[in-house]
Amino acid sequence: MRSTTQPIAKSAHSKPRRVVVAVLDLLSNLKFGIWLLVALFVYSSIGSAGIVYPEHWAIFSADSWVHDQVRQWRGLEMTEFEWFHWWPFTTMLLLIALSIVVTTLRRIPFTPVHYGVWMIHGGILLLIAGSFVYFGQKVEGDTPVARRKVVAEFAVPQTDGSVTNQRVEFVASPGQRAEIGEGSSRVNFEVRSVDPQWELLTGADKGKRAYSVTVLVERAGKRYLRQLLAGYPALTEDLLITDDQAQPIKRAVEELGKPISDESMVLSLEYTAQRWFYLRNDLAKSWALYVRLKGTTKWTQRPIDGLPLYNDCVAQRDDVFQLESDESLPLHPLDVRVGAFAADDPLRGVDLRVSGYLRFAVAQTRVTDGGANAALNPIASVTVSSTQTKPETYRLVAHDAVASKADGGVLRLVDLDHEAAFERFTRQPSIVVRIPSQNIEVREEIRDVAAANPNAPFVEIMGAPPNASATGYAYRVVNVQDSIPIAGGTVAVAILEVKTPQGFFRRWVFENPTLTRDVVTPDARDAHGAPKLEDDSIDIRFEPGNGLALVVLAHGPELGRLRLISAVGATPAIHEVAINTAIPIGAGVSVKVAEFFPRGRFETKPLVVPRLQRSRDAMETFAQIRVEAAGAGDAQWIPFTRWVFDSAQEALRRAPFEPHTLRLSDGREVEVLFSRQRLPLGSDVALDEFVLTSHVGGYTGEDSTIRDYRSRLRFRGDGTEAAWSEPVDVSVNSPVEHEGLWYFQAQWDPPETRPREGEVASAGLNYTVLGVGNREGVHLQLLGCCVAVTGMLYAFYLKPIVKRRRQAGVLAELAAAAKRAGLEGRADEGGAT
Amino acid sequence: MMRRAWSRGPWKSLAFVLFALFARVAVADESALPFAKRVDLTPLATIAVQADGRLKCLSSFASEMMRVVSGPRAIADQDPLFTYLDMLFHPKAYREADVIFVKSAPSRVRLADALRRADPSAEMALRMESFEASGLISEEFLSQEAVLAVLEEMQVDLVRSAKVVDAIESALRVKDPRFLLSRLRIIPRGDGAMQRPWHGITTVIIAEEQASALDVPVQAREAVAAAWKQLVNGWLEGDATMVSSAATALAAELRSIDPNGYPDLRRLQWEHWYFANDHMTKTWIVYLAASILLLLGVVWKWPRARTAGTIVFALALALHTIAVLLRWYIAGRWPNSNMFEAVTTAAWFGCVAALVLEYVSRRSAMRSFFALGAAVSAMVALMAAHFLTVQLNPDINNMTPVLHDVWLYIHTNVIIFSYVLIFMASVSGALYLVHRALGGAASYARVGGAGSLILASPKGTPLEAGARAATGEVLDGVTMVLMELSFVLLWTGIIMGAIWADHSWGRPWGWDPKEVFALNTFLVFAVLVHVRLRVKDKGLWTAVLSVVGALVMLFNWIVINFVITGLHSYA
Repeated sequence: MRSTTQPIAKSAHSKPRRVVVAVLDLLSNLKFGIWLLVALFVYSSIGSAGIVYPEHWAIFSADSWVHDQVRQWRGLEMTEFEWFHWWPFTTMLLLIALSIVVTTLRRIPFTPVHYGVWMIHGGILLLIAGSFVYFGQKVEGDTPVARRKVVAEFAVPQTDGSVTNQRVEFVASPGQRAEIGEGSSRVNFEVRSVDPQWELLTGADKGKRAYSVTVLVERAGKRYLRQLLAGYPALTEDLLITDDQAQPIKRAVEELGKPISDESMVLSLEYTAQRWFYLRNDLAKSWALYVRLKGTTKWTQRPIDGLPLYNDCVAQRDDVFQLESDESLPLHPLDVRVGAFAADDPLRGVDLRVSGYLRFAVAQTRVTDGGANAALNPIASVTVSSTQTKPETYRLVAHDAVASKADGGVLRLVDLDHEAAFERFTRQPSIVVRIPSQNIEVREEIRDVAAANPNAPFVEIMGAPPNASATGYAYRVVNVQDSIPIAGGTVAVAILEVKTPQGFFRRWVFENPTLTRDVVTPDARDAHGAPKLEDDSIDIRFEPGNGLALVVLAHGPELGRLRLISAVGATPAIHEVAINTAIPIGAGVSVKVAEFFPRGRFETKPLVVPRLQRSRDAMETFAQIRVEAAGAGDAQWIPFTRWVFDSAQEALRRAPFEPHTLRLSDGREVEVLFSRQRLPLGSDVALDEFVLTSHVGGYTGEDSTIRDYRSRLRFRGDGTEAAWSEPVDVSVNSPVEHEGLWYFQAQWDPPETRPREGEVASAGLNYTVLGVGNREGVHLQLLGCCVAVTGMLYAFYLKPIVKRRRQAGVLAELAAAAKRAGLEGRADEGGAT
Repeated sequence: MMRRAWSRGPWKSLAFVLFALFARVAVADESALPFAKRVDLTPLATIAVQADGRLKCLSSFASEMMRVVSGPRAIADQDPLFTYLDMLFHPKAYREADVIFVKSAPSRVRLADALRRADPSAEMALRMESFEASGLISEEFLSQEAVLAVLEEMQVDLVRSAKVVDAIESALRVKDPRFLLSRLRIIPRGDGAMQRPWHGITTVIIAEEQASALDVPVQAREAVAAAWKQLVNGWLEGDATMVSSAATALAAELRSIDPNGYPDLRRLQWEHWYFANDHMTKTWIVYLAASILLLLGVVWKWPRARTAGTIVFALALALHTIAVLLRWYIAGRWPNSNMFEAVTTAAWFGCVAALVLEYVSRRSAMRSFFALGAAVSAMVALMAAHFLTVQLNPDINNMTPVLHDVWLYIHTNVIIFSYVLIFMASVSGALYLVHRALGGAASYARVGGAGSLILASPKGTPLEAGARAATGEVLDGVTMVLMELSFVLLWTGIIMGAIWADHSWGRPWGWDPKEVFALNTFLVFAVLVHVRLRVKDKGLWTAVLSVVGALVMLFNWIVINFVITGLHSYA
């Protein structure tokens, strides 16, 4: 299309006017417009794909490609969203919009032939306008909503005769614990299991399924389980824990004739109300610190501006650990002030400072040499290899009752004050039995304990040589505890089952005989009462020896001297230990001490995960920042947490609650969390039910068997007095709107049948994660798009028809005119651009 | 004479090609054949197995599992179901055989180098050469220390090579006879509960008192166990007759447990047929024939080749249509939810569009060009589907929950339709470039694309018509017709995607790489439209930009999918 504007006589206009005209000329220059589109193409390609090229001809495998995201480079540090909201991009868009406006107005006549172009250009302008509205106001985040919380209410009689009411809440999630009260009035709760699909066996709703939560209650020395069913408070019942091996758990209703064994303890299930949503960090970075004074519950957020997302920033290499094989971390100091933001910040005037950022790190504890002045604290790192299994490495701490042993007590590290103590560890633990009445004294090494081998035989006590017949006394060792921590030290104990002609009892035989006592009543688990012997016809002593350890590493008495005592063979073998030298101990097993520090010191720092080992899907999950309180020396690495909970009782599975404490220069202690900024939802949201639907054959643990996830939500106005709304369902592809925000099904709580160490199994479905966001301006965007489509259809397919009609009209007129003029009309085939 | 003989020739050769494609040749002397060829597993091939939330026919399931082990390669030219069972019954035989497929060529080199260093013999050099070419390696080699060290090194690189190690590990896991046995969930539930799992074969053979299979009647359990034992014994003895009769008995037994809940036999048979015939992707050969004939037809203006080409093209499209419909029938949903389906269905759309355009342009000089572009596109697409079965996995599986939406069928189909049109436009664009390189004149279609068809002269002849139209003009016109269509469809498809994303992900536009490159493709075409207004050599610019547009589209399909994954990674 050629320019339709007339050339402008330069002399006719003033200078400012000439500039305006020159700008207008530029904006309506087609070449300029094309270059803008090309620039947009290049800009988006760089932002989206970065630098990418194949290194190998096999282009269909990822490892043939070199890929580098330019926008993530240090200095740029942009998410996709940020790259496409950066000023060069918005400037380009505005220029394109202006160019379209000026060109259309100046150069495209508003005639039927050009309606299409007008519509396309108008539509795109509407789209750009709608997008400025949309992206200018966009908020998007996510929020977890737990399904139920357990509320425990009970009365505690006070010493003065009055009664106080106690209340404690905790989320219904397997393994969740809560405790309240001190001393004898202390009550412990633990969610033992949750069954989201419990089948009702009684009542009008028999056959239906309900959400069932079983809580272990420990109160005044009693323990019982209470089962709660969401929506069926009347079906609450207690399960009693008995010593009956055949049926360790019995229903209270069958044992006691009533479903509740402890009526003064009221447990109920309630909705949990979520009030916040957390802004997505991969749109615009939304880092925030949450602070509160230690002892308070309310968090105050402080947005962190200027924190990177993709690149590590560390001021000194000493601040972190790195793998030896990893390339040394480049030093990039960071100094981001995080001041009070909210008016109700409890620490107004106290600035925190972020001085380090790690994209991908895990806390690691290493042992270092504490130096000559440090306290004696022998720590060894020991590797056990065998021909059958993979080598295992253990860390042993001599002065720690638990950490001094490994592999179930088979391996232990001890610290000797004097050489005489050494001898003890060359001996097996033994039991010495005396029956004074029959003048019998027998010493027997302990070889088998019932805790490890339930079929361990009883050791019969035979009579003294002249009449070597059975005495009717027998014992077996249930377990050996070498170092139980008690006030003021540790004690060794052997727990025995003893048969006598008179009966059967358990005896706790301490190394110190004055502590030894018998346990007759089976449910008295407590062995801390006054020592008491039920049967003094038999006297038993315990010599702990090596405490059943197969391998004892003994340090001392000389500093740094380490000896290994192996009880694998028939006689104990003793070796002097050299670092990093494997010592064969028989049966194909060898032990190697890789590290040994007599004055060891623990040091915990983030271990920087090497670049190549960072999973892209992990997002910000493994980020850590180094936070310092201004003016004070206290600095700590704080790991990222997805959501902010007020207490551990609110925390969800896979989202633990671990606030770090920072000491200010004035001595105050501040709890700090590192998370994302949050916004109020404007109303409370509760999860009534979470339903997983599956394909044929049911959910097997494979994602491919899942058909849909559905969260049944309830809303209520801000404030706990209002009533919950009727339930609404949110499922994949089917969001709901509530007061300007849209709620989407985003994530779920999958079952964990094989939990990690220290966790309990979970049937899942205890919470949902909802996406939350607004969508201002989408309708304007959509309108623009539709107008543009109409324009395209018009320009490509209607315009030629309009032209043909016009042509036909002209030709018909010409023919008529020619006829009138008596001339031969000649229809020419002609086209127009 | 020659001409006439030839004109009948295509039919004969075509019939032969089709026969060779989809028929199995019967062999006379049975006893001389190896066990693998003598044993008849057809009855077993069409029993149902429950896997990944679907009821599949056993042969398609076996081919899926064997693809995890050996990728696109067939082991010893055996049927996958045979290999599955043989691997289960003779695991040792597969330990030393080269059966594990390593997809990535760079990784093959690393592994082969490690083995060559460990064993510099000529024999090893030979085997490694074959490994680098075929990608197949034995479990024996993979468990050598030198290889384990390399694998560990590769596993550390999560960004690039860890996936290769993962694939090798899954191959080893699947190859394990315990795994193969545990996945044979072929015993229907006796109580007909569809939301509960079917039973594995172990529940009837190992423990008769196994409570989990109690819903199956005792006689049925015993009969299944007996048939299975016979199958195993026959297999171990190499007795093909015994195996065949056991297979028949087992299949009949399994069908009788829950006749109402059991999948339709006809569907299972078609599924078996579809998988046994490479998902009908060999149709690419017919498209190749059509492309050659049409090219001869349009380049040398040879009317008979043109007619023959159009007929062969129609035939290829008919086969292609059967393949698409069959897959629809087997999967129970329109095939557009994974890479294999997107590529093959897109090609089908292109061919259908070409058929319509051929009709519209039947009297113009543009005729046959649309069919040619579509035939080339479909040939490329079906070749990719046929040869790159690891990248374009042909298995029929359940869709992730997010794909269950009506917009999947609208958005995806519109987008892939526009993509195939872009590819077709690049074919005519490339032809234009060849034409120009060979000295063709700098001509172009004066009224753009559809305009040149619509703006016919009063006499009814389209503008670009007959012998008078220059080749360049026609090619440019074809490119423009396709470009205009893809321009509208791509834009519409992107909007439809935005509408879907708005209620699915919570944002109509997320600057996801796939979205950005769809927009980039559109930008190339927007530049093209405007450049045409400005430059003199419109034909050349159009051809170049249509090829650039197709490259950006392919970049989106290949690089964004395999290297820069984003939210759209499942398609």
